[in-house]
Amino acid sequence: MSNACVTLNQLKFSWPGAQRLQLDIPQLQIDTGERVLLRGPSGSGKSTLLSLLAGIHKSKPGQINVHGHDLGKLSQRQLDRLRANEIGYIFQQFNLLPYLTAVGNVELAVKFAPARRARLAQRGVSVRAAAQQLLQHLGLDHNSQQQLAQHLSVGQQQRVAAARALLGAPALIIADEPTSALDEAHRDNFLKLLFQECDAQQSTLLFVTHDATLAPYFSRVVELEQLNQAAESTHV
Amino acid sequence: MFKLALASLWNRKASAILTVLAIAISVMLLLGVERIRVQAQENFANTISGTDIIVGGRTGSTQLLLASVFHIGSLNQTLSWQSYEYLQTLPRVSWTIPMAMGDSVRGLPVVATTADLFSHFKYGNRQPLRFAEGQAFAQLDHAVMGAEAATKLGLQVGDELTVSHGAGGVSFSDHDDHPFRVQGILQATGTPVDQAIYIPLEGLGLVHGEYVHEEEHGEEHDHGDDHEHGHDHAVHHDHAKQAPPVYTLSAVLIGLEIKPLALRLQRQINTYTGEPLTAILPGFALQEFWRSLQLFDRALLAISSLVVATGLLVMLTTLLASLRERRREIAVLRSIGAGPVTIFTLLVSEALLLTIMGIAVGVGMLYGLLFGFAEPIQMSIGFQLRASLLSPTEWTIMGSVLIAAISLSLIPAWRAYRNALADGLTVKL
Repeated sequence: MSNACVTLNQLKFSWPGAQRLQLDIPQLQIDTGERVLLRGPSGSGKSTLLSLLAGIHKSKPGQINVHGHDLGKLSQRQLDRLRANEIGYIFQQFNLLPYLTAVGNVELAVKFAPARRARLAQRGVSVRAAAQQLLQHLGLDHNSQQQLAQHLSVGQQQRVAAARALLGAPALIIADEPTSALDEAHRDNFLKLLFQECDAQQSTLLFVTHDATLAPYFSRVVELEQLNQAAESTHV
Repeated sequence: MFKLALASLWNRKASAILTVLAIAISVMLLLGVERIRVQAQENFANTISGTDIIVGGRTGSTQLLLASVFHIGSLNQTLSWQSYEYLQTLPRVSWTIPMAMGDSVRGLPVVATTADLFSHFKYGNRQPLRFAEGQAFAQLDHAVMGAEAATKLGLQVGDELTVSHGAGGVSFSDHDDHPFRVQGILQATGTPVDQAIYIPLEGLGLVHGEYVHEEEHGEEHDHGDDHEHGHDHAVHHDHAKQAPPVYTLSAVLIGLEIKPLALRLQRQINTYTGEPLTAILPGFALQEFWRSLQLFDRALLAISSLVVATGLLVMLTTLLASLRERRREIAVLRSIGAGPVTIFTLLVSEALLLTIMGIAVGVGMLYGLLFGFAEPIQMSIGFQLRASLLSPTEWTIMGSVLIAAISLSLIPAWRAYRNALADGLTVKL
């Protein structure tokens, strides 16, 4: 258990006012350093599960552990702090603040995350240098790095978003369909780079998608419909 | 956080600039109205000082005040020369300034009086009248000009002017067979004195034909010389007893040796049996008149307050409208660990920034106007508007605007807070 990054135990969740359970997951464990593809069609509860993992919403019955913290026992402030420090989040689209430069967007990652700043300081690099280095690795040259996010292409934007999620080596990277807006060539390239960087800093990757064709890239694939008892019962 | 708010605002600069402008204009208006109110009151109270009682014929106190001090309107009732003599005999009267009005020079009021005006009349903080050029009138065909009257008419010491009957701008009965010569020009005082032209009572008597002895003209010059040498009431008195320079006066200003006697004397004059007279205490009358103006004053203040409210509502609208397009932004901030409180703070500090900039721009615009227009206003209506530093009241006004803005910004901030909690990381578009 010591190398588990995420564990779910008897998780049951329903939206306030809703009759049926949205999620009913008896057990799930994701080990540190794993690259997991969580697959499920739209409406299967992917987003709900991610917001639970990110500590935005709380599940009353059941237990969620992220990086050794029992989320149920943390206050709102502690949850925000944990998310800032240990979770890098990549959205499907519109990941960036349009009025900041690419580098500025990446640097934003450590604004509320003292632990991530500390890790960078330990490595002896400034936040800016680390951000630029990451962007360089992900294929943004110096010029594009200084551009406002709103002037970048969608592919570039997603790489900046990845860099922001990765900066300061959080324990868990959550990617919510980050490739759905990219074409195939860009998608493959994006995945390759994302894997590289995750491996380099030993971040666990939880990648959520409805796209089954991505399965071969991952060491482990979890089908949410099989995992989620609530979903199964509605299917039958 | 503030830097982020700034960058975010800059991204929406079109609406931000308009919002700042709306607040700026409203703040400028509010401060401007307040400033005009305060300075009008100051100017107003400064018009006369040191005069204890003003006496006129039977009339309203406001009318008497306006006519005698501000040269506004006219007095239908006059008081007789006999009454004036009676007033001089009252106990503890230190000085008197008789005034006869009703004539004009191209719309500017002509006040016939004695040279006592220049020695006893005081304005502002007990400041006497001073001559910029020349000196007081010494002969019956001399005139003394207020500073602005001289500028407006383009007259200098030694020039001649003709007095017209009646207060209108154009008169068909000019007294042009009796021109006056400008003997002195007064320094500017910022009071109605600047607008007026002063001539001796004897001069007025002459042009109105009340001073019947045309051949006495030569003797009058002698009288004028007397005036220069022996400057006291006795000279007047003796002369007046023989033949008063005019039969009626419009008003008399009285200075007392003992100020607290004013109330008692006022009653005594009001109950004078020889002729119905009205006596007013200028301080009280000014206050009373000012109070009657306050309704107008308050209406102006209320309107400009409403304009400020409109300005702030513009900001509220802009902030609320921006929330929708900013849901993404808020979701991104949430994803990197910004708590709902941070989102709340972001919105409030944005409103704070907009309001502070609005107030700063508003104050800048106010001073721009003050510097640009103070002089034309002074020239055209004689109202002195100073570009002095911000008064405590004005700081209070700005503080209230800021507090109101912060309170209003709690609405969009609270919404953003709730959205942040409910939406979480899912961006609903």
